[in-house]
Amino acid sequence: MDDTRSPDRELVDAVLGGRPGAFERLVREYQGLCWHIIQRMVRHPEDARELCQETFLRVHQCLHQYRYESALKSWIGRVAYTIALRHLQHKRIPLLESDGDDEPSLVENIGDGFDLEAACANEETLRHLHTAIETLPPLQRTLLSLYYLEETSIPEIARITGLAGGTIKSHLFRSRLRLRGALESRTGVAA
Amino acid sequence: MIHDINDDIHPFDDPAREREWLAQENAMRRQRLQLDPCSDDARTQRYRLLAHVLRQPSSECLPADFARRVAAQIGATRQPSLNTPFELGLIISLYIALLVALVVVLVPDSGQWWRSLVALPLPAMSSLRLLFALAGCIAVTWLLGQWQTSARKR
Repeated sequence: MDDTRSPDRELVDAVLGGRPGAFERLVREYQGLCWHIIQRMVRHPEDARELCQETFLRVHQCLHQYRYESALKSWIGRVAYTIALRHLQHKRIPLLESDGDDEPSLVENIGDGFDLEAACANEETLRHLHTAIETLPPLQRTLLSLYYLEETSIPEIARITGLAGGTIKSHLFRSRLRLRGALESRTGVAA
Repeated sequence: MIHDINDDIHPFDDPAREREWLAQENAMRRQRLQLDPCSDDARTQRYRLLAHVLRQPSSECLPADFARRVAAQIGATRQPSLNTPFELGLIISLYIALLVALVVVLVPDSGQWWRSLVALPLPAMSSLRLLFALAGCIAVTWLLGQWQTSARKR
């Protein structure tokens, strides 16, 4: 942990000390993370850009309160998540589906006949999968993005979102199962 | 592997769900490591396709100069007043007015104010004690501030 904290400390000290270019470096380092969180939550590019800007203004304003209890990445991610969450609440957009997220049935023994390379090259299949991801609730989209795109571990996602590790695991499990179902509805299942 | 530190997350109570979870995790790792999919079963291959799609960044992104613009905005809000010529001029004129007022008050007196100040009786012992207490408070506050700053740096 200390290995990651040391560069964090260096960067935070530089920003708090007003060193020229330090804050720009901080923004450049974490803008991808904030974009992935906010964009996946709000799905409106223009709103997402404004919220990203608001996130970094808040980070600059509150950085002196950062106590190195978690990695800087988690702390900044938490600021971005909170701002996106407030935006959704303001727009009355639910974070999760209100009618209960029914878990698709488990089909463990599915037959062969699926060609990964062909599927990766099939534009129709990829588009179908992208559409299925877009239909997921904001929270599940964001969790998948953090887990796959940012390669963030579940304990770190827990620090960003404030959710319990078990809850995150359950959301990841259900959304992947649901997406697998969407994929099978297109490619068919040879049981 | 980054996700190896997920090991402390409890397994599902239902063994079938836990098996499915492990299949999802395994497919994600295999896709990340770009391992040959020939030996993967159909379920793993589907989850690998999912991992392939989820690892693709969105086509929408922040402008290339986003960091520079945000940093410039912060810089502009941090020192707004002294940069405007009007406010700078106002501050300089206030200093000049203060200097003129000092000269007007002190010069005609020709040292009378200093003699009056020296002639003042010494403060009583109780007043001195209050002054010492005030100095002590200031020193303790300053020391606490120094200690907090150094603790944060550590």
